[in-house]
Amino acid sequence: MDVISGLFRRPAAASILSLLGVLSFYVVIGGVDLGKLMGAASWVNYAARIGVVALFVGLLMISGEIDISIGAMIPAGAMTTAILSGYYELPMIVGILGALAMGVIVGLFNGLLVTRTTVPSLIVTLGTLVAMQGIVLAGSKLLTGAASVPLSAPGWAKTVFGDLMFGGNHQVVIVWWIALAVVVWFVMHQTKYGNWIFAIGGDKVSARNAGIPVDWIKIGLFVGTATSAAFVGMCHAILFNSAQVSGGMNDIFNIIVSVVVGGVLLTGGFGSIPGVVIGTVTFAIVTKGIDFTSIDRNWSNLIIGIMLLAAVGMNETFRAKAMSAVRKKKG
Amino acid sequence: MSMQSAAEAKGFSLGSLIRRPETGSFLGFVVVYTFFAILGGAVFMGAPGWSSWLNIAAEVGIIALPVGLLMISGEFDMSVGAVVPAASVTAALLSGHFELPALIGICGGLAVGLLVGFVNGLLVTRSAIPSLIVTIGVMFAVMGLTLGFAVLIKGSTSLSYVPDPLTKSLLGTFVGGMFNVSIFWWLGFVVAFVFFLHFSPIGNWVFAMGGDAESARNAGVPTAKLKIALFMASGFCAAFVGVAQLMTYQSAQVAGGQSFIFNSIMCVVIGGVLLTGGAGSIFGIVLGTMTFAVVNQGIFFAALDPNIGSIIIGALLLIAVLSNDSFRTLAMTLSSKKK
Amino acid sequence: MNKVNRFAAAAASAVVLACTAGAVMAADIYVIGGKPDDPFWSRVKKGAEDAGIVAAAQGGSVTWLGPQNYDNLGPDAAELIRQAIDQGADAIVGPDWVPEAMDPAFQAVTEAGIPLVIYNAGGLEAADRLGAMNYVGAVDYKSGYAGGAYLAKAGHMNGACVNTLPGAANIEAFCAGFNAGLTENGGTGSVLQLPATAFGDATAVAQAVRAHLLQNPDIDAMFAIGDGDTNATVSGIQQAGKAGQVHVCGMNFNDSILANIQAGTQDFAIDQQGYQQGFFAVSILNNFVNYGVTIPTREILTGPGVIDAANVEQVMAGVKAGAR
Repeated sequence: MDVISGLFRRPAAASILSLLGVLSFYVVIGGVDLGKLMGAASWVNYAARIGVVALFVGLLMISGEIDISIGAMIPAGAMTTAILSGYYELPMIVGILGALAMGVIVGLFNGLLVTRTTVPSLIVTLGTLVAMQGIVLAGSKLLTGAASVPLSAPGWAKTVFGDLMFGGNHQVVIVWWIALAVVVWFVMHQTKYGNWIFAIGGDKVSARNAGIPVDWIKIGLFVGTATSAAFVGMCHAILFNSAQVSGGMNDIFNIIVSVVVGGVLLTGGFGSIPGVVIGTVTFAIVTKGIDFTSIDRNWSNLIIGIMLLAAVGMNETFRAKAMSAVRKKKG
Repeated sequence: MSMQSAAEAKGFSLGSLIRRPETGSFLGFVVVYTFFAILGGAVFMGAPGWSSWLNIAAEVGIIALPVGLLMISGEFDMSVGAVVPAASVTAALLSGHFELPALIGICGGLAVGLLVGFVNGLLVTRSAIPSLIVTIGVMFAVMGLTLGFAVLIKGSTSLSYVPDPLTKSLLGTFVGGMFNVSIFWWLGFVVAFVFFLHFSPIGNWVFAMGGDAESARNAGVPTAKLKIALFMASGFCAAFVGVAQLMTYQSAQVAGGQSFIFNSIMCVVIGGVLLTGGAGSIFGIVLGTMTFAVVNQGIFFAALDPNIGSIIIGALLLIAVLSNDSFRTLAMTLSSKKK
Repeated sequence: MNKVNRFAAAAASAVVLACTAGAVMAADIYVIGGKPDDPFWSRVKKGAEDAGIVAAAQGGSVTWLGPQNYDNLGPDAAELIRQAIDQGADAIVGPDWVPEAMDPAFQAVTEAGIPLVIYNAGGLEAADRLGAMNYVGAVDYKSGYAGGAYLAKAGHMNGACVNTLPGAANIEAFCAGFNAGLTENGGTGSVLQLPATAFGDATAVAQAVRAHLLQNPDIDAMFAIGDGDTNATVSGIQQAGKAGQVHVCGMNFNDSILANIQAGTQDFAIDQQGYQQGFFAVSILNNFVNYGVTIPTREILTGPGVIDAANVEQVMAGVKAGAR
């Protein structure tokens, strides 16, 4: 009994239930062949694509901030790589480092503005989102005269960042996603830095009073989100031999939904990395799994909406239960 | 102290002028307008230029008003992006496909907005889930419903409707061949919201709610009902824009409208509304909307690369926010000095 | 993992075959196309699904795979092609929008021995390169070209293409074709690009068109892609006081566009006949899988057709049936 109630108090509990709920809905109503779905690469690839960014957005959200400029950073990373190594034919490593540097710069900019002013991060990153959309598009037109740029990457870069594995259709980004998830999980749940991030999200003032370098941590987290987005874009450019400009508005919502379904509290101080990973998987199965069902694809957005509301509803209930349990123990 | 009541705003000293949240946004507007007036020349400063950016401002502006009020009271509404197409598709289905009278189509479209707003409000007030998340969920759901039903009923995702002359002249005509009638609707909405926020007791409740919801509730403000009403207002306004677009362009698309989500927030923020709630004014929102529209249209008159427009809007947003931020700090130090 | 699955799928289909001995083989056909709320692609989808009624009667099925949005068109479509392979498709239909990104996925289809038809984009050249059976459809570039050529031949030499999705490969192809059609017939072409904040907002498009016309009074021809942008462009021209002076060509149509053509506010629309693309691509594959019959005519073109005042009445009948 205690084990079960303890389980429900974990931040990942609601995301596990959402995942089970979505799967059973697809199996019962949609007639999904589970074996086929689990063997398919499409949703895993998709999960890895948004999952890499979702990990870092999750960290940032736990610390009480949000970053929506990621939407523009994914195409920005892809375009930087393609323009440097494709259009200007510089060595591949220059394109890779260029994309990552772009992420670091934008992340620093976001982080500095958020920590140095009282402006909420949603607005700061909304500004960088729109500005980066313009910079990428105008820059691409100015430098290459086109909005999509081809790129042929050398073999080693393909193997490391953009290949299909085991002769199948699973992308190598999946390995990166799992590796990053392990690293982030370790930092978040096994080191003092993780506790610091939770503390910042819980109560910034007392965190600062306790001697935690709040501003530096936050700037680091913003660099993390922007760079991970640029990284994903770079991998995609290498895998698909091309990059195109885009607004990226949809990725913003998709990633935030994944993180929130994973049990992270938007207002900070609560969440877990396993939760974020499961939330991402759930979102990927909803969007990509619908093709395996007999349900018309037209309804997929409706299902996403309902799933999101149900998942956060469950999160709230569980958190309330967890809080009251803690209070009881103290009393 | 941080509350901007109408009475306080009537003072005319320099200090209170600077403290007014719309001072920064007014300066921003003047700078931006001058910049584009120099680049855009006589055409931009004449009637064609004015109507051009006012037409843009009117539609975003109608949505920005309730979105701004929600932000003052500490909430977000992302679902407006889905309500705009949902309302115009509903009106097109009712009046175009089923050939019902225009009035029924209009009411149907507006009812969709009110209903979505009601659902948003109910979910936000009955649970502890942040409104950003609730309205993203509702946004996805409404987008799915719009697409699903449009295909189910009409078999197509683009619908058309040719309104009768009276409806067209009220909702979708161009006065003088260039000024969209929605500009006058925007003015009407502005008057209504000014009265609501600055001259009725409800306005103070909204400010109080954004400043500190807990104490507002203790002071007897019906916070839940007020919030539901605000969400219904934003649903209504978004639906109004959707219906007006149908009457103007005689065509409704399932996709689209998403641009209104962030555009309306940008207008509000440029207008000086504090995102965390509790400060702002209708005039600020109107000024912010005008600034946004001038940039959006100005780039086409200034013969700049339109892609530069996004950069300018992004930079402007940050500058506006930072200057508002320093204005606010200045205001705080001024008022604390007095004490 | 994959091999095991394929073996299982093969075993399962063998069982199905044995059970339905004497009946024809059922074809599960996967169609990769545009996003479901795109008006043009919803007609392609209808064509594919109508052809699927025959497939379903023979025990097969038609499944539509479309991306959620056009932000990441090439990679998303390549993913969908691979997904179709994973789902055990008996035949696949797909457009070759972004060859760099999608060709490896199409090659995986033919390597797996799955019959393939390229449609909508790429042309016969792509079909031959990828080992596909056939090509069905119009070509975005050619459709744009037809629009530019029609306008230039009518004496409207200075054109602008309205692009609300800069970067999306299909839209860029339309505009490039339109400008080529103008210049090769003695005119000049340009592209009016809108910022990302304007996408999906008819008023923003209309006002941008109007501002562009006021600043560039020489323009007398415009090209817009999709029903919404075309309607907005027509409105923008009227507001600029240029109705009758600036001539409009739209890509594809719905009944409001046809009403425009009847009223003369729009000169003509280029028709790619999306319904035909979906219908024929699926039918070809279904008949091939079931009966082994083929169509020797290669490159089945469904467009670009021109709808102007001369044939608009006839087209309206098809629209009423939801097929055009």
